[in-house]
Amino acid sequence: MGDMNLRPILAVLILAVTSPVQAKVVDFHTEVTPILMKHCYECHGGTEAKGGFSMNTLSLWMDKKAAKPGDGEGSYVIELMREKDLDFAMPPKDKPRPTEQEIETLSKWIDQGMQWEEGFTFAKGTYEAPLKPRRPELPPAVDGRDNPVDRIIDAYLAKQDIPPRPAMDDAAFYRRASMDLIGLLPEPADVERFVKDSDPNKHTELIDKLLANDRAYARHWLTFWNDLLRNDFTGTGYITGGRRSITSWLYKSLLENKPYDQFTRELLAPNKDAEGFIKGIQWRGDVNASQTTEIQFAQNVGQVFLGINVKCASCHDSFLDSWTLEESYSLAAIYADRPLEINRCDKPTGKLAKPGWLFPELGEIDAEAPRKKRLEQLADLMTDEDNGRLTRTITNRLWHRMMGRGIIHPVDAMETQPWSEDLLDQLAIHLSDEQYDLKSVLRLIATSHAYRAQSLVLEEEPEADGYVYTGPLVKRMTAEQLIDAIRQVTQTQTTKAAKKFPAQQIEKQTGTSGEVFTTRAAMLPSDFLQRALGRPNREQVVTSRPQSLTTLQALDLANGEALNAMIQRGATSLINQHKGKSPDEMITLVYGRALSREPTDAERKLCRQMLGDPMIQQGVEDMLWSVFMLPEFQHIR
Amino acid sequence: MNDWYDPSNPALTRRRFLQALGASSAAAMMTGAPQLVGADRGEGIENIAARADAVIVLWMAGGMAAPETFDPKRYMPFEKGLDVEKIISTFPAIDTNVDNIKISEGLENIAQVMDRATLIRSAIQPDLGHILHSRHQYHWHTGYVPPLTVAAPHLGAWMARLLGPQDPVMPAFVNIGQRLEGVGEKEELKAFTTAGFLGSAYGPFNIPYPEEAGRAVATPKGMTAQRFEERYERYKKLVEAGGDQYISEYHEDSMRQAVDNAHRLLGSEKKKAFDISLEPKETYDKYNTGRFGRGCLLARRLVEAGSRFVEVTTEYVPFVHWDTHEKGHETTVRLKQEVDRPIATLVRDLEARGMLDRTLVIVASEFSRDMMIEGVPGSNAKDQSRAKTDVLKEMKHYGLHRHFTGGTSVVMFGGGTKKGYLYGKTADERPNIAIENPLSVEDLHATIYTAMGISPKTKFDIERRPFFVTKDGKGKAAMDIFA
Repeated sequence: MGDMNLRPILAVLILAVTSPVQAKVVDFHTEVTPILMKHCYECHGGTEAKGGFSMNTLSLWMDKKAAKPGDGEGSYVIELMREKDLDFAMPPKDKPRPTEQEIETLSKWIDQGMQWEEGFTFAKGTYEAPLKPRRPELPPAVDGRDNPVDRIIDAYLAKQDIPPRPAMDDAAFYRRASMDLIGLLPEPADVERFVKDSDPNKHTELIDKLLANDRAYARHWLTFWNDLLRNDFTGTGYITGGRRSITSWLYKSLLENKPYDQFTRELLAPNKDAEGFIKGIQWRGDVNASQTTEIQFAQNVGQVFLGINVKCASCHDSFLDSWTLEESYSLAAIYADRPLEINRCDKPTGKLAKPGWLFPELGEIDAEAPRKKRLEQLADLMTDEDNGRLTRTITNRLWHRMMGRGIIHPVDAMETQPWSEDLLDQLAIHLSDEQYDLKSVLRLIATSHAYRAQSLVLEEEPEADGYVYTGPLVKRMTAEQLIDAIRQVTQTQTTKAAKKFPAQQIEKQTGTSGEVFTTRAAMLPSDFLQRALGRPNREQVVTSRPQSLTTLQALDLANGEALNAMIQRGATSLINQHKGKSPDEMITLVYGRALSREPTDAERKLCRQMLGDPMIQQGVEDMLWSVFMLPEFQHIR
Repeated sequence: MNDWYDPSNPALTRRRFLQALGASSAAAMMTGAPQLVGADRGEGIENIAARADAVIVLWMAGGMAAPETFDPKRYMPFEKGLDVEKIISTFPAIDTNVDNIKISEGLENIAQVMDRATLIRSAIQPDLGHILHSRHQYHWHTGYVPPLTVAAPHLGAWMARLLGPQDPVMPAFVNIGQRLEGVGEKEELKAFTTAGFLGSAYGPFNIPYPEEAGRAVATPKGMTAQRFEERYERYKKLVEAGGDQYISEYHEDSMRQAVDNAHRLLGSEKKKAFDISLEPKETYDKYNTGRFGRGCLLARRLVEAGSRFVEVTTEYVPFVHWDTHEKGHETTVRLKQEVDRPIATLVRDLEARGMLDRTLVIVASEFSRDMMIEGVPGSNAKDQSRAKTDVLKEMKHYGLHRHFTGGTSVVMFGGGTKKGYLYGKTADERPNIAIENPLSVEDLHATIYTAMGISPKTKFDIERRPFFVTKDGKGKAAMDIFA
């Protein structure tokens, strides 16, 4: 976190030491803030809110009745500061006591009505995120690495004195790219051809080939988008008609690679097919004021498109950043078709929210316009070419998926300093330059040397603070990827059409190409195994899944019926389809499909012991289980 | 919000305010993962001595009518033409082994262990405008009313996260008797049968059928124990044989650890706890009134073996079991037969094993029922009775068919609670609302957490916001019920 916002306040602090306290009107900036900074800020300012009290904004003081404007000596904060018994006083007894003069100043300030500069907040540390898109100046290419991503990263690494990471081997690259872009393991024969290919452009060609597989791409990215847009085939709310699915719209949009600006517009100002997103989840009966469907709209729109957490600011002014309660309600009021009363901490304030949005510098919402119009205006503002936040947020999410960690991380805290502003801005500007083509961003990333680099082998998870980029991180497969991968290795893909999802029909309408024959896990309602492997209940927006296997999950994988049945079927399938193959050939086949590599001698020996000679069903089952449980199999390196 | 802090409230001393300040801090964590706030300074679990080591929740799913069970009122036998407004209870009261406590006919076994019980008659629920079982169940089990901005953890998940299992081999949180597939409102049930934002590591080990629990920890179907063991030994070697290190150690370690933990349970003597057929016939029969009774037996075995939190439910299925929208009396007769003996047996059994003092057994339900009132008096919640009538015409009319949130009974045994103690009171005439010591879900949870040594103010940072074990950290334990 940067301390840039703190500096002017510190400067003021130095001035204040010599400034006379007897001034007629106490000045907030020169007199009050220095005292608050000195004695209160550490525990009650910025992101700190000990005892639930944050002094960041005036309304937060009012929420907690910390002071009564007009009555300094009758105010709780002054009472605490004057307390003689240090066990009860503020600041706490291990902190320096404020001087009588300082208390007097604060008291007088309260007496005079607590003058507070409009919009001022002590919520520091939030990175001043730029709104407008920026076209970074690209450093010169090194060694012919001219992908803009590489030009920026090479310069970044050089500055940090870190050598560029060596490239991974081609087979592993194929597996990574295929899993990342279409969620499928590559066929060993394809990998072999790729490895032997001497064409220097083969990496780029591979990426293009994968991205051209529209159907496989759409089926894979369903997982990401369903999590993000909290869409599912089943879930709470459907039972009482309080929720609508957007699956068909989403699938069609992914198949067609709908430009992201249009995609966003269709979600924000939707027709029937896509309205499920902004409608949220409505339970029957009364709900907390911060969870009405209007507020859900504000929270989801803020988080999904702008990487802004307005959940704090749905109840009170945020302690974490500068978003206010009123701003959250303004966003909600765009969606509301009734007068929306602002509630502070679930209590009505008597004030009505006026439709408006978070970045008025791009334009305003016409509060008088009907709802449909307001939503259209929001859609226009959101996709305005000057809204760099939209493009930064989505490209950061894509980078996170591909590289294991966001340029801004976590990905929903877009008001955090990125480790490279240039890189993020470059990805964002690329998206808008390329007519909001999401695949083109994936292509830009996937064809870089940075993406091709060996992933880091770390002892511990990277620290949140002071993160320095050195290379891509290993990613854990999603539940959907893992189940599809097991089916691929054992050639037991489901060919039955998914009951709740007319995928084939939609594919026909779009005239897209690619994978046709299987129903992937992402196209099915969640089941016991998928849940156990981390597919979330999509009641809330989900932007990252747990990165580690838990004991309960491991139990399900060790003896659970679901995986066991898959493995039994898989073993039978492999034996039937490869009659006459030797155990060694079977081992090569399984390792090739599962890990895109040959087994080592030691592995081969162990697998032979498992398989038996001649191979028996049980042996194949045990080997499959063991391979599927390898950390290397369950991760994308 | 935060009225515990409100200085204008004279009931609050400054001392409490200061204690609260010391107990919490809102350090903003920058990673996406939830973080226990103040854990490193021992603030997360603040200086409460645990009174209990384990919790068993006996869940009367669907709304157990207090006037028909633990809070009997004036009894009116069935009589054709009787004005239904006159009906409060459809069962006579019976004596218990505690002088001032009477409960309802059909609970004769529990009546004989009331001298070990704290009987709370004043639990209350909020009026949510429309009574939906699964929504109130969500509230009861997580302390939060859905929808929510983050997925709330189940009580058992909090215990699993904060305390872990009593024995490291055992799953901390086990959920017995509820199917999550093939029943109505299953999605709503799944929504709270989860560890929520704490992550699936702390989620429930679900056992819908207690008699099949043994299979949940057995080797896979068709696999001998020997083959299972060998498979794991070879697997471990195969992991080692992989050659180059491709995967970060933290990824690989966490995975190996998880697989190893799983195999430790599957290879441990402890797993016998799951197999209720190993119980001596005499004890087994005492419990065995049906699926719920067998669930109680399984719960005892699991807690004995080292689980932390076990819930046993009569199972929620819309309009079935305690969810009496018609034929309430007849259905309640049957349900009492199912639950009376196993509950009493569980209490005596735990006591005989010297475990009752450190095991908190809680009999509870999402709300109560009434003949006339839906929600609370004055609520505009929709009347959902399926046997609407002004006067009794047939047996199906006889029973409490509306959802009542104004006064619900909760029975606690052991875990440091008082014995033969009555807490709270409801009015004798309709509306039978709590008129003494009303206890909200948040306060009830605070009481349970306090028994387990967990401060009701314990919180996690998730998405850089605080999330407390009791809503806003405001749950207040009913300290009177502790001995």
